[in-house]
Amino acid sequence: MRLSAMLRREAIVVPLQNTEKQLVIEELLDAAQRTGRIVDREKAIDALLERERLGSTGLEKGLAIPHARTNAVDGIVLALGVSPAGIDFQSADSEPCHLFFLLLASEAVTGNYVQVLALIARLNLQSGFRRKMMDVTTADEALEIIRQAEE
Amino acid sequence: MQSDRLISKILLFTDGSEGSIYAAKYGIVLAKSTGAELKAIYVVNIDLLKQLERARIFVKVEELDYERDLEEDGRNYLRHITELAAHKGLRIETELLKGTVHKIAIQKVEEWDADLLIMGELEPILSRSDTFHDETELIFRKARCSVLVIKDSERIDKIYETLP
Repeated sequence: MRLSAMLRREAIVVPLQNTEKQLVIEELLDAAQRTGRIVDREKAIDALLERERLGSTGLEKGLAIPHARTNAVDGIVLALGVSPAGIDFQSADSEPCHLFFLLLASEAVTGNYVQVLALIARLNLQSGFRRKMMDVTTADEALEIIRQAEE
Repeated sequence: MQSDRLISKILLFTDGSEGSIYAAKYGIVLAKSTGAELKAIYVVNIDLLKQLERARIFVKVEELDYERDLEEDGRNYLRHITELAAHKGLRIETELLKGTVHKIAIQKVEEWDADLLIMGELEPILSRSDTFHDETELIFRKARCSVLVIKDSERIDKIYETLP
């Protein structure tokens, strides 16, 4: 399983335009919607915001993974947003988030969904990955860095 | 204690993938033709769920929720394999386990004294990291008994279908 194979270039936003949490999630969802696999946008946003209410998906070291399982999508949908300036996402270390992986999965693919979350977390631990991602200016560049990191 | 027969206890590892269902079909055919005992296992990857909770990707309620769903998935896969075996008049034992997938599977090989482990096709190894994180790859390399990796799904389907 490869993030670079799963992530479509039209679902990558560089740089993110919004700076407020809910708007960032909506911007990422717009990007995810371009994959054509979101069948119910309202239900998808509700699921993501409901998950945020349980606790922020802003993690440490500039990474945020807004995620939810919902039958508002077909299979697994992944989007990526990059914010070189950083966004306050109520992260665990109180630092601004720069990389945003939005992940939605239908309830039938729980096993794969968990695997994808682990892949994202592992990718972010790689030295140099975050720094390289901060410098990207296009979706293609972002995709190439992920591809290289996975090799 | 292993018997003198070449194959007397076949352990089938399933992770719900398409490949592992073909492996199940092959295991059923092999058990029928050799008279070997067949047991299928599914391991809920609790370790991964706990890692995600420690990394704060999951909150506790999510971890428990996903654990319950993965258990249910595992039960469904094992039920499906039981039905595939029953369809060919074969009785199969199944077991739903929890923990670090490769460790539990390898432990089960030893506990049950399996002389053959059957599993679905492995994912291609594209990086060194895969050799540390791919659970089926780890089972393949670390299991102490012989391991049969099933390929050629079309042929397996035909063999299974023609089995009386």
